[in-house]
Amino acid sequence: MRRVLRGVVLLLLVVFVAPSQVAAASARDTGQPVVRVGTEGTYPPFSFHDPRTQALGGYDIEVVEAIADQAGWKLEFVETQWDTIFPALDARRIDVIANQVSVNDERRSKYGLSDTDTYSHGVVVRRTGDDGVKTLADLKGKTTAQSSTSNWAKVARDAGANVEAVEGFAQAAELLAQGRVDAIVNDNIAVLDYLASTGSDDVEIAGNAGEELSEQVLAFRKDDSALVDQANRAITALKADGTLAGISRKYFKADVSVPDGGSADLSEGRGHRGTWEVLRSTAWPMLVGLVKVTIPLTLLSFAIGLALALVVALARISSSRILSGLARAFISIIRGTPLLLQLFIVFYGLPQIGLKFPPFTAAVIAFSLNVAGYAAEVVRAAILAVPKGQFEAAATIGLGYSLTLRRIVLPQAARTAVPPLSNTLLSLLKDTSLGSVVLLTELFRESQLAAAESNEFLALYAFAGLYYWVICVGLSAAQKRLETRLDRYVAT
Amino acid sequence: MTDTTERNAERARVRVSGLEKSFGDNKVLRGIDFEAREGTSTVLLGPSGSGKTTVLRSLNVLETPDRGVIGIDDVEVDFAALPPGKAGRRASGLLRAQSGMVFQAHNLFPHRTVLENVIEGPVVAQKRPREEAVADARTLLDQVRLGDRGDAYPFQLSGGQQQRVGIARALALKPRVVLFDEPTSALDPELVGEVLAVIKDLAADGWTTVIVTHEIRFAEQVADQVLFLDGGVIVEKGPSARVIGDPREERTRRFLKRVLDPG
Repeated sequence: MRRVLRGVVLLLLVVFVAPSQVAAASARDTGQPVVRVGTEGTYPPFSFHDPRTQALGGYDIEVVEAIADQAGWKLEFVETQWDTIFPALDARRIDVIANQVSVNDERRSKYGLSDTDTYSHGVVVRRTGDDGVKTLADLKGKTTAQSSTSNWAKVARDAGANVEAVEGFAQAAELLAQGRVDAIVNDNIAVLDYLASTGSDDVEIAGNAGEELSEQVLAFRKDDSALVDQANRAITALKADGTLAGISRKYFKADVSVPDGGSADLSEGRGHRGTWEVLRSTAWPMLVGLVKVTIPLTLLSFAIGLALALVVALARISSSRILSGLARAFISIIRGTPLLLQLFIVFYGLPQIGLKFPPFTAAVIAFSLNVAGYAAEVVRAAILAVPKGQFEAAATIGLGYSLTLRRIVLPQAARTAVPPLSNTLLSLLKDTSLGSVVLLTELFRESQLAAAESNEFLALYAFAGLYYWVICVGLSAAQKRLETRLDRYVAT
Repeated sequence: MTDTTERNAERARVRVSGLEKSFGDNKVLRGIDFEAREGTSTVLLGPSGSGKTTVLRSLNVLETPDRGVIGIDDVEVDFAALPPGKAGRRASGLLRAQSGMVFQAHNLFPHRTVLENVIEGPVVAQKRPREEAVADARTLLDQVRLGDRGDAYPFQLSGGQQQRVGIARALALKPRVVLFDEPTSALDPELVGEVLAVIKDLAADGWTTVIVTHEIRFAEQVADQVLFLDGGVIVEKGPSARVIGDPREERTRRFLKRVLDPG
C-alpha cells in the first residue's frame, strides 16, 4: 500500500512541478519580458493558420509582432476560443488579447485598452436574398449567431435579437447558410474575407450595422499599465513610419489603421482549396496533435486516475466511516457533474484561489479525477468479487493487508476489472477532445483550426473521427490480448 | 520462578480455556476448554451448528473470540483482555503464525502455480530465502504425492490433488499445529481416501493436528482424542475408542447413530 501511495505522489509531483519549472526556466534565460498573447487562431484574416505552412498569421498577429519589436517584448502565442479569452486574461494565463477586441464602455472600465489599431464597421449578414433582413432594426425578435461574449453579440442583443452562441465566424456562417439562424452581425472585414475565401453565395451582406465606426484595440489587464504604455508608444511609432498601413494594405488593400483609409477589398481572397487539398495539409498536424497531446494526455490521466481509483475504492470498502464517507462523496460528485464543468473548475476556477496549472497539467488533473470517480466503483466491485476464502487463505499464511491486496487480491480482481476499465479508457480518449477548450492543441482542436480556415467541416471532423476510431480499435485489440493473458489460470 | 524446561515438558501444545463467541444474538461458543499434547491428533465431532468450526477458526484467529484464552506453544492470548487496534492485531498475528490451516474449499491462489502457492507464505511472509523455501516445498509436494505437479495451475488438478496442495501450503509454514476444517467435505467420494491417507501420514510423522470432520471411521483411526460438541459446549471428550466406541452421553450416541447408519 505504501509503495502504491508513494508512486501516486511521485507521479503527481512530476505532472505538477515539472512543467511549471520548465516555463520558469524559459522565462529566465532571456532579458526580454515574455508577453503571452491570447488569440483565436480561427478568425481569418486577423488570426488564423496558413493552410500550407500551418504557421499562425494574419493582420492582428503581424500587428502585435510589430509592436513587440518596437517595445522589446518576447511573444508567446496562446490560442483559445473567443469566449474563454477574457477569462484567460483575468486568470493571468495570457497578458494581452490580440483578436480584434472592439472598444465598449464595459471593457474600457474593466481592462487596460491600447490605442486603436483597426477601424472598421459592423455589417448585418443574411441568407442570400432574404429581404426580411436589411438593417439592425430588422433583427428584433430574430435569431443571430455570434460569439456570445463579443461586442457584436452585444450589438445584436441591443437590437432585440436572440443570440445563439457559436465559436467563430465560420461556424456562424454555416448556421446561417443552413437556415438555423436568421442573421449575423460582424465586422465587415471578417465577412468580406469569408465571402472571398469560400466563394460562398449562400450568405451576403445586407447592410451596415449602425453608422458608427468600430474601433479595435489590444486588451491588457487593468493593472498592467506599463504594458499598455509601451504598446501605445509602439502603435504611435508604427503609424508614423507607415508599418501598420503596410500590414493593412497587404491584407485588405486599404489602410484600416486610420479612420478614413478607404474600403477594404478582399475580393482576391486567400485562394479557395479543394477538400482533398485541405485534408492532405491537415492530416499531419492532426496526427501531431494526436501523438503529442491526445495520447499522452489519455495515458497519463488514465494511469494516475487508476491509482487514485484504487485508493478511493479501498477507502470506500474500509471499515472507517469517515474514509468510506469521503470516498462516497468524491464518487458522487465526480459522477454527478459534467466533465466539461470539472475541467473548467480546474482550469478557470482554481486560479481564483491561487492554484494555477499549465493547460496540460490542468487537463491531466481534471481527467484523472474523473477517471478515478468512475473507475473506483469498478475496482471496488472487482475486489469484492474475489472470494472471501482468498483473503482468509492469505491471512493464514501470514500476509498482511497490503501484501494480501498486492499479491493475492488485485491480480485476481484485474480479471474482472479489465473489460469495464477498457470502456473507461476508450471514453477518456474521446473525452480528451474537451481539452480543446482549455488551450490544448490536441487532435480535435487541430481539426477545428483547419475547419475555421477552410470551412470544410464535414470532411475535417470526419477525418478527426477516423483518427480517434483507429486508436480505439487498437486499444480494443490490446484489451482482448490482456484478457486472454489474465485468463491463463482459469479453466475454459 | 519455576524451572521453564520442566514447565514446557508438562505444558500441552494447544491450550484452550473458557472460549466464548457470539454472532449477534446467537451464542455459538459457551465456554470451551481442552488441551492437545504435542504430536497428537484431536478430532472435533458434532452436528452442524455445534460450534466445532468456530473453535477451529478461533485457534487461527479467523474468528476473534469474545472471551477465553488460547495458547499455542509459546504464544498465549487472553481475548477478554485483547487491546484494541494495532497492539491487538499484533498479538492475534503472533498466535495465527503458530498454526497452519487447511480449508474445506482448499482456497488455493488460482493465479499461482502449485509451487508458488506453497512457497508464498515462507518467502513473502516469513522472509525465508527462496531457494530454501523451494527445496522445502518440493519435499512437501513429494510427501503429499504431487512431486511432479509443481508447475501446474490449481485449475488443472483434481479436487483431491488441490486439497493435498492446500495441505502442503499449510505445512510449508512449519506451524506448531495444523488445523483441518472439514478437509474432505467438498470432495467427490472417490477422492476422499487419498486426502485422508495424507492426513494419517502426518499424524504418524508426529505433526500436532486439530481436525474438524464428519468421517467417523477416519476419526476413530487417526484421533488420539475426540471432542464431541453440541450447542456450543463440549458434551463429551476422551480417547477416540471410548467416545466413538462407547459414548456415555445420550447426545453423542444419537449423533453417531445418525451418522454411521443413515436412513
